[in-house]
Amino acid sequence: MEDTPEMLLGTIVYAVINSVILIMMSIGFNLTFGISGISNFAYGALYIFAAFTTYMLLQMVGLPYPVAVLISIVLTAAIGALMYRFILMRVRGQVLSEVIATFGIGLAILEFFRYLGFVGVEYALPVFIDDSFMIGDVFVDAQRLIIVAASIVIVGLLWLFVHFTSLGLAFRGIAQDERTALTFGMDSDWIATMSVSLGAALAAIAATIIIPLGTISVSQGYDVLINALAVSIIGGLGSTGGVIVASLVVGFAQRFTDTYIGSHWTMIVSLAAILIVLVIKPSGIYGKQKELEERI
Amino acid sequence: MIMIEVQNLMVFFENALALNDFSMKIEEGEIVGVIGSNSAGKTTLMNTLSGLIIDMRTKEKRKGGERITIYGKIIYRGEDISEMSPSDRVKKGIVLSRERHPVFHESSVLENLKIAGYLRKQSEIREGIEYACRLFPALVALKGRKAGFLSGGEQQMLAIGMSLVVRPKLLLLDEPLLGLSPMMQKMLVEAICRLKDEFGTTVLVTEQFARPVLPIIDRGYVIENGMLTLAGTGRELMDNPEIKAAYFGI
Ligand SMILES: Nc1ncnc2c1ncn2[C@@H]1O[C@H](COP(=O)(O)OP(=O)(O)OP(=O)(O)O)[C@@H](O)[C@H]1O
Ligand SMILES: [Mg+2]
Repeated sequence: MEDTPEMLLGTIVYAVINSVILIMMSIGFNLTFGISGISNFAYGALYIFAAFTTYMLLQMVGLPYPVAVLISIVLTAAIGALMYRFILMRVRGQVLSEVIATFGIGLAILEFFRYLGFVGVEYALPVFIDDSFMIGDVFVDAQRLIIVAASIVIVGLLWLFVHFTSLGLAFRGIAQDERTALTFGMDSDWIATMSVSLGAALAAIAATIIIPLGTISVSQGYDVLINALAVSIIGGLGSTGGVIVASLVVGFAQRFTDTYIGSHWTMIVSLAAILIVLVIKPSGIYGKQKELEERI
Repeated sequence: MIMIEVQNLMVFFENALALNDFSMKIEEGEIVGVIGSNSAGKTTLMNTLSGLIIDMRTKEKRKGGERITIYGKIIYRGEDISEMSPSDRVKKGIVLSRERHPVFHESSVLENLKIAGYLRKQSEIREGIEYACRLFPALVALKGRKAGFLSGGEQQMLAIGMSLVVRPKLLLLDEPLLGLSPMMQKMLVEAICRLKDEFGTTVLVTEQFARPVLPIIDRGYVIENGMLTLAGTGRELMDNPEIKAAYFGI
């Protein structure tokens, strides 16, 4: 196969899209961690929960698409909040227990869907707009462009939220120095509840825009969790800037390997990226040693 | 009128006694000092008054960590607040500025002040920031600067400024003068007086050395190993030969 300029452009375009998808898949996981130090290993399950909920509301209840999406985002956020209140709160500070508890909840959610028989290609969500465009000579469908546009909007809104709302500023305070934040009247359990809930909502939003590209399957729940973990570890847990940089690194590495080396190398390259970062800078690209511009 | 009364406070970290049968009271509008050397129990007292210790106790319990036990009572304006959460105490006007000038290092000075206004309305935050800048004019020029890049003295001004945005009725200052130059100390001490005179804020301030604060406090308590050893008006303490020897430094 000849390397052509078209092929290069195509690879770059799809690498950007791939990176944006990785950002969306990990931003919520990373945000929760950045604010309250909680690793939510049910993150991938919440992503799938949101997708199946939307599916059911759309196909079985017959609600309009936007309404179904909205309800499922709200429900997912509520599950996040309940998860903190009833389970995480009691083991807060015992990292291993937090991980086991959230991973257990995730397993239960995912395997429950499998048990109910939610398996098969018919479980899919419709694309928002069925159309496609050419970027130069590269063919891109509308859904992928929507993913990119929506992600930019979401990251922008998130930035405004943490810098200009009372709850967002409280997030920044708690993330930096919890005990001092308490002296201004913040309630650490309330803020932690909100952080898990917002993380869950972001998982649901990611599912909403990404799932229409393919089908919904239980195994994706595990893939999303692995991606979120990988990107967050490479970026330096808790840093949004880190998530963006790490997603670009992994996203480009994956696409270029795919095109120029072979798709069976893609997974190896992502794993290698994690290993290299862990060896060179164990705290991640934007890890704590670096003077943190933005942890959330 | 008595604003807050501490009755027979005992605080244990596991089996170590950090505060031992400590009692004190503060009248509305007073400036009260607590003088004690390292590990005398000043911070433990401040954390117990502000309720931070309640939060520490809960967290340690969840983690299965250190056992913190608290005995005794804190009565604030006639109400027993001994078991009240820190956030509820802040809502009642008890605000602590922690030791070692705690500020949010990655946020700008302005953002620090905004974060401090968590419980306040937008308009109140704006007023609070103006108020803090009036008390510490040096903060105005630093508004955009990251708090982590400020000097110790600047951070201390900011830390107190942040407490002011909350609008305290009872302001607890834990070693605000620690590590500051004599000039800076003088400036802060004057600011504390202005707080009382202009806004009627009641202040409890802890210090290791008596010299800079004794002249401005109405009353003071001396604490050693968690126990009250001496109490009196600022004047009485200043004239006490033991205090001179132990807390006036060299
Ligand atoms: N979290 C804790 N766990 C165990 N012991 C503690 C804890 N906090 C304080 N102590 C102990 O309680 C005693 C009082 O400490 P505290 O911090 O109140 O002293 P301090 O007067 O504020 O001292 P400094 O001037 O050094 O700030 C000390 O012996 C200290 O070791
Ligand atoms: Mg102390």
